[in-house]
Amino acid sequence: MDNSGKEKEAIQLMADADKKCKTSGSFLGGMFGGGPQKVEEACEMYCRAANMFKMAKNWSAAGNAFCKAARLHMQLQNKHDCATSFIDAGNAFKKSDPNEAIKCLNAAIEIYTDMGRFTIAAKHHINIAEIYESELVDIEKAIAHYEQAADYYKGEESNSSANKCLLKVGAYCAQLEQYQRAIEIYEQVGANTMDNPLLKYSAKEYFFKASLCHFIVDELNAKIAIEKYEEMFPAFSDSRECKLLKKLLEAHEEQNSEAFTEAIKDFDSISRLDQWHTTLLLRIKKTIQGDEGDLK
Amino acid sequence: MSSDFEAYEQDFGTITAEVTNKIGRIPKLSGEEKTQLVLNVDKQLEEVRELLEQMDLEVREIPIQSRPMYNSRLKSYKGEIEKLEKDFKRSRIAYSDEVRNDLLGDDAGSSENQRAHLLDNTEKLERSSRRLEAGYQIAVETEQVGQEILSNLHSDREKIQKARERLRETDANLGKSSRILTGMLRRTERGKNGPAVMRSSSRNGFFSSSPVALI
Repeated sequence: MDNSGKEKEAIQLMADADKKCKTSGSFLGGMFGGGPQKVEEACEMYCRAANMFKMAKNWSAAGNAFCKAARLHMQLQNKHDCATSFIDAGNAFKKSDPNEAIKCLNAAIEIYTDMGRFTIAAKHHINIAEIYESELVDIEKAIAHYEQAADYYKGEESNSSANKCLLKVGAYCAQLEQYQRAIEIYEQVGANTMDNPLLKYSAKEYFFKASLCHFIVDELNAKIAIEKYEEMFPAFSDSRECKLLKKLLEAHEEQNSEAFTEAIKDFDSISRLDQWHTTLLLRIKKTIQGDEGDLK
Repeated sequence: MSSDFEAYEQDFGTITAEVTNKIGRIPKLSGEEKTQLVLNVDKQLEEVRELLEQMDLEVREIPIQSRPMYNSRLKSYKGEIEKLEKDFKRSRIAYSDEVRNDLLGDDAGSSENQRAHLLDNTEKLERSSRRLEAGYQIAVETEQVGQEILSNLHSDREKIQKARERLRETDANLGKSSRILTGMLRRTERGKNGPAVMRSSSRNGFFSSSPVALI
């Protein structure tokens, strides 16, 4: 009840604000006299209208209202407010129209990078990438945005956040079979984390992933890689992941897919393998069976 | 002379072998057969003792040089006889497995008990190994959760550090701006008669565009 009333109010407000904008005359007229004040008021009215739309759960209308507010802020040269309004618009559009959301977020990112606020820009790149991941399912673009975010974070010396983004990039690359890139990323991240006392317990996970990617490309690569990692990071050789890898290598050499499956079952019984790992291991297993030539 | 000794030795050997055999059998038998065997063994032990005495006499007639060897052999034979007698006495009162079986039911029963025992033990072992595995799983999961928490902490640390830096910057900027403002105030008060309206609006204007989003 309340909400539909709010919506009508909101529509009324929008209409008022539109009028205000128009009465402030042409662009030149808006620069002089009482122009700016009116534009500011119109801005505020747009924001209020948008909030009311949000209460009424009319996301697209809210998004539109925020967009208009943002453009007015731009006219007033309030970059910060402009960007904030674009972000609000993006959030509102997330729930209704992902493409519009992405446009708004991109506009906001441009403003932030212009101002030199790379950390926030990176955060919004991540937001966009998430939208691509979940709603639009465009993995390539998601990868591009995650990469951009990682670069910005690196530039701002936030290595942790950069690593998080890089890991996502790596995971998607491996899914898309761009193994070389994935290998580079995982090795890089692994090397970075293994010295840090907080993060070294995750390092073995990254080396494991890198080894799996090596494995798919070529078995010999995997062997060399594993030896390299053991040298770099002695704790890796004690981990169960390393033992699993060695068993898998053996099974692969002997082209024995049963031993392969058993080793994996063993590992899985103690700690479940997640979707990503399962997919890669399945690909590796197929190469064994492919070589054998028979169906199992 | 010595050939007699050797003949006695051979007899000794055969009789002691028989006696050992019978002593082994005695516990398993009972009743009539047992008493007969016991008498038998008694007789044979007596024979053996007589043999030993004759061997003794023989040894005395042997020249002194070779006596030590025969003496030592004799001693070992005597030791053997004593041991046989002890065994004999023990065997007469020994319990045999047969008696136990008679008391506790037949053979099949005891072996089933053993089987049940073994099965029980195997079950206990399996239960303990299952518990150990579950414990290990939990430990591994805990480790994974710990990893995540650590990496979250690390990134939070970086964010907090950045925020602190920005705060310090903002603080410095605010300090600068307040100094500028006081400078302006002094100048305006010196130059004009203190237009109060301008003062308040200028203060608002300076603070409206402060960076709000810090993280």
